[in-house]
Formats: sequence, C-alpha cells, structure tokens
Amino acid sequence: MKVKQFLIWGVLLILSLAIVGCSSKETSKEETNNEGKTGEKTAEKVELTMYSWRPEDRDMYEKAIKKFQAKHPEISIDFQPYESTEYNTILSNALVSGDGPDILQLRPYSGAKTIADSNYLLPLDDLKEIGNINQEYLEAAKGSDGKVYGVPLSLNSGVIFYNKEIFDKQGIKVPKTWDEFLAVCEKLKKNNITPIAQSGRAAYLLSMTHAVIGPDAYGHNDFVDKVTSGNTNLKDPNFVETVQRMKDLEKFFPKDFIALEDNDAQTLFYTGQAAMYINGDYRLATIEGTAPDMKIGVIPGFASKDGGEPVVTTWVDGSYAAAKNTKHPEQAKLFMEFLASKDFGQIFTEESNRLSAVNGVTPKHPIVKEIAAAAAKNSTPYLMLVHFGEGEPTTKTTFENALQGMYLGKLTVDGVVDEAQKNAERAAKK
Amino acid sequence: MPELKTVPLAEVSAKPKKKPFNVRKHLAHLFLLPAAILYGTFQLFPLITAVINSFYSWDGFSRDTFIGLQNFVTLFTESPFKETFVNAFKHNWTFFFVNVCTELVTAYILALIIHSRIRGKEFFKTIFFLPKLLSVIVIGFLFSLILNPTSGALNLFLKSVGLDFLAQPWLGSTDTALLTIILINGWAGVGFSMLIFLASLQSIDKEIFEAAKIDGASNFKIIFTITIPMTMNAIMTMTILTFIGCFETFELIYAMQGSSGGPYYSTDVLGTYFYRLAFGSVEGGQSIGLGSAIAVVLFLIIALSTAILMIYFKRKDFER
Repeated sequence: MKVKQFLIWGVLLILSLAIVGCSSKETSKEETNNEGKTGEKTAEKVELTMYSWRPEDRDMYEKAIKKFQAKHPEISIDFQPYESTEYNTILSNALVSGDGPDILQLRPYSGAKTIADSNYLLPLDDLKEIGNINQEYLEAAKGSDGKVYGVPLSLNSGVIFYNKEIFDKQGIKVPKTWDEFLAVCEKLKKNNITPIAQSGRAAYLLSMTHAVIGPDAYGHNDFVDKVTSGNTNLKDPNFVETVQRMKDLEKFFPKDFIALEDNDAQTLFYTGQAAMYINGDYRLATIEGTAPDMKIGVIPGFASKDGGEPVVTTWVDGSYAAAKNTKHPEQAKLFMEFLASKDFGQIFTEESNRLSAVNGVTPKHPIVKEIAAAAAKNSTPYLMLVHFGEGEPTTKTTFENALQGMYLGKLTVDGVVDEAQKNAERAAKK
Repeated sequence: MPELKTVPLAEVSAKPKKKPFNVRKHLAHLFLLPAAILYGTFQLFPLITAVINSFYSWDGFSRDTFIGLQNFVTLFTESPFKETFVNAFKHNWTFFFVNVCTELVTAYILALIIHSRIRGKEFFKTIFFLPKLLSVIVIGFLFSLILNPTSGALNLFLKSVGLDFLAQPWLGSTDTALLTIILINGWAGVGFSMLIFLASLQSIDKEIFEAAKIDGASNFKIIFTITIPMTMNAIMTMTILTFIGCFETFELIYAMQGSSGGPYYSTDVLGTYFYRLAFGSVEGGQSIGLGSAIAVVLFLIIALSTAILMIYFKRKDFER
C-alpha cells in the first residue's frame, strides 16, 4: 500500500512538473519560432525591443522612430514603456532571465553603473555620434571601468518656479542671488503669502530644494571637484552652510509642510497661496497642464555675486543603452547613433519640452529655452544624486531623511551633516 | 448492457490483503494538487529562495558571492543597519501592544454589546465589518485625504468646532504618525475581530448565564468570571493573529507614508525596512541579500513568538 501511495504521489509530482515544464516549453517554442522568422527576414526586417520608464513619452518616441525608419526602413522598434515605479524590477528580471530587451533605458549614475558592471551592456565609446554629448553628461552612463555604456537622453534642472502675477503685484524683482532671494521671501511672508510651496512628506523634495539653493554656498563645481577627489567632505563648513540655509528657509515654507504631499504643495502654488515652487524643470508640463492660465517664470539658479551669472543645477535623467545579448548589435548601435544625433535631440526637446543632452539642440518653449541657455553657460551637478547615490541606503536618501529629522526637531544642522557623512564613508568603503 | 459477472465471495476473501485500488480516496489528493502547486510556487518557493538569498551578497542584478552569515552580522552590528533595525522592531512591538489595547478590546466590547439583546444587531455587525471589505490601499488613500493638514476633513472639522489646538499634522509629526496609522489599522480590523469574538460568545451555553443570574451574580462579575474565561480560545487566537499581523504589517504604512517609514523613520517597521533594502528606490540603494536577511529574521521572529504565545496560552488553558 505504501508503495502505491508513494507511486501516486510520485506521478502527481511528475505531472505537476510536466505541466509547468510544458507551459514553459511552449513559450520557448514560440520564441524560437519568432526568432526563426526574424532570422530569415534579417536582410529585410529586424525588430528591436526598447524598454523605457516613460509611458507618457510614447507619442514622442513614435515620431522619433518614424524619423529613424526613414533612413533605416529595415529596422523597426517595438517601444515598450513600463511604469516608472515598476521599471527597475521589470528590467532586472528581464536581464537576469536572459530574454531582455535590445535597447533599454538606464537610470543615471549609480543606476547605470550597477547594470554596466554586471556586464549586461555593450560599450558605446566608439559610437559615431557620441561626441555630440558633453563628457560631463556621459558620466551618467559609465561603468566602473570608465567606458561609456549609454547615450544620455535628457537633462533635468532644478529650478524655482515663480508666480509672475504675485511678483508683479508685490513689485518684486526676480532674485539673482541668495540674499536677494531671502529678501523676497521676507517680503512675501510679510504680505501673508507663503513664499515657497515646499512639501516634505516625500523627503526627496527636500534634497531637491537643497540642490537648487545650495551650490552657490558651497562654491559650485570647485567644491564638487574637491569632494569627489577626497580633498574635503560633507563636514566642510561650506557644505554645512547649505544645510543651515535649508534650516533658515523653514519659516518660509507652508505650515506643517512635512505632512504635505507634492500635490498639496503644487495646489498652494496654483491657487496663488504660495509664490514659488521648487522642483525639476520637468514639472513645467504638469504646471502648464494643470493651470494653463497661470503666468509662471523660472529662476534657474543663484549667482555667487551680485551681477554674476546664475549657475543651474543639472543632471542626466536617463540614458539609453544596448543590451549585450541582443541578437542584432549592429542595428541596435545604429539606433543608438540616432539617439545621440541632433535630429533626435530636436524631436525630443520639441515634443516633451525638456532639455536634450545632445549639444546644440534649441528648445522651442521659452522657459525651457531660458533654462537651457543658462545651463549652457554655467551648470553644476546635482551633488547628492550624481556623487552620493551609492550605498544601501544611499547617502542621498540618508541626507534627505535627516533633513526631515531636522525640521521635526530630531537633528541639528550638524547632526544632518554627520549622518550624511557617516553614510558616505560607509558607502565608499564598499 | 454488458453482463454482470458474479464473483464468488470466496475468491475475494481469499486475498484479503489485496484490496482493490481505491481511486476515490486518492482522487481527493488530485484535487489538492492545484492548491499545492500554488502554495509551493507562491509561498514555499519564495520562502526558501529568501533564505538562500540571505547568504549571498546581491546588488539587484546578479547574485554575487556566498558570504555565509555576513548579511546577518551586518544587520545586527553595523551602523546604520542595527539602529534602523532596532527602531523598526520597536515600532512593530508598539503596533502590537497598541493594537491589542485598542482594536481587540474595542472589538470585544462591541461583541459583548451586540451579543446582549440590543436592537439592530445585524445592522451594527455589518457596519463594523464594512471597513474590512475595503482594500488596505484604498483605506490608506482615504485617510491620507482625511488627515491632510490643509484640506483634510478631520482638521477642518476640528477647526470648525473650535478645537483648533487639536488640529495636528497627523501624518507629518514623529509624535503622532505611528499612532495614527495604528488606529486606522485597528479601525479597519475591528469588525473582523468582533465577529470572531461574537461567534465565540454565541457558542457559550445560555443556561450558564441564566444560572449565574439566578445566583445573583452582577453583569460585571459574569463578564469576568464566565464570559472572558469561556471565550479564552477566541481571545488567544485573535492575539496571535494580531501579533502576526502587526509584525507583517506593511501595506497600510506603505500606502500612507511610502517605504521610507517617514517622517524621519517614525513609522518604520520591519516590513518597510525590508522593502527599502530589498527593492531600493528608483535611485538605487538596493541590496537583496540584506533585505532577504531581514525577511528571514522577520520570519523567525513571527514563527518563534507565535509558538511561544501558543504554548503559553495552551498551558493556561490546561491549568483551568
């Protein structure tokens, strides 16, 4: 009897395995069929799969792909966007399982480095058009070996949006330096307008504000060079000063801003209860979509001295890379070349009203144009994102959570710097 | 019609050991198969992989090297992991104690009231149970709206009745955020606990209460000497379930505060801590190895504590 039971269980187990096995076999059969077909048609037609985390950009990509196909009708691109929040997991699963896309969107800096170092990408140093992109931006898509693995797509800038009507009514001139900015805030507060629609529930918006108001206090790129070469660290008095600035701004933020979501902050800005709103320039589309009648202007950054040029905080938002195990590396590279070309940069910037990473592309939108012009003259990287995005948790995360702690009275200014520096040291050790 | 063969009785009884194969009996096993496969794939398999992953270093793309217990050592000895762990662990305990004191006690009182002869029993039963039908994510979203400091219904209400000083940034203060979430969690779960208690109350023989009343016992005395001891099994079950629920808690906090356990880690529990480490954020910071280590520790905490609680309750049960 026992033998029989054993047999039955055995059969059931095998059956269940067979069911699972069959189903995967079937799919793999289909795949090979498809591959066979495309293989036969190689001379005529190749399809490349392309992953992105921006479903909202579909129209733009369709236009761009059409332009690409005008030159290369034999290559078709299957644009597959996923929700940004799901993207990392989907991508890593696809890469690990080996049936990933041919072209994939890379998170900038440490995100790109992780994938490149895991040997999933084709190096692109010899790509024809790669020279169209500044070295500084290529940093966003490099592996630890120093090779370029991606073509940077867009640049983000941290900016201060302001309500033109409020500024006009109050007779406020657009501030160019930190001191002028503080004076503007004081004036607005006196007149019962919340100066800055800051939200702090999602801590990343705190480090965003820090990235916009901080650089001229720590001395822009000089400090960045020093801190990355190890000649100074976050405990540098100039950096501490930036955190002190964050503390000083507290009285200009809305009441209970740590409990406010970004949406709430935006509402304060749209309804004219707050005069300024700090975020990436990519919020421009959101603002114009939600409050089309609102007249907004942009403060791209602060100048160090009176009369100087503003310095814009910019960073690469994402890059495109070719997967190492793509069946069509030649075609993938052709498409990468297109992505690095002015043609694509122009389509991108015109369709999405964002800054392209490609040199010499001129945006149409006046505000984007203004930011692009300022950034072309003077830019500085988003320090926390670009240089402190490593470690688990990342130093950037630690820093912004610590800022939250500071506003809740749990940490002092030095305490914030301490936590960030400690985490940076730990991350560097690894 | 095929002819029926008659088998002589002697032939059957000659080999009593060789019973005909009972297909019906084993057919039942076949019906268990789908559930077993689902359980295996979605429960057992991930559990085992989590244990295996906790012995490796893993940055999210490739499982690198076998590092033995290093992830656990890191978790308990290195800053900031140990501090974050202790902080989150404490919050899980707070979650449990507050939940028992509020949700379970309220549920029991509600069950007692409904069990007494009040009108509209069914109505109240349904009303109290309704929140359980809502998805946790929906509850999180609704309460985020209600508790919004500028436009939220609660603060507007408090201000309109002149209780301005009570209007708080409920989810934006380290003092109130965790407690607020625990109470919402209790609100959502109170109906379920109430039903379990009610079922247990209804299973007590009514004659016992009548006898006690005839003997002149007060209602108070009846509750403490008859009702509670006789529903001890339900109380025990609910305490254990609450314990498991409170240590596994994640969805509501994630829905309301995100995975950062904000503000400033004040609502961080082991679940959110695990999520942050295992999945990182859009910007990185992922370590599946360390995350899995937390998951394993969490599993051990729940399994061991539940076992201890069960043994404790059982002993108490026998003593009676």
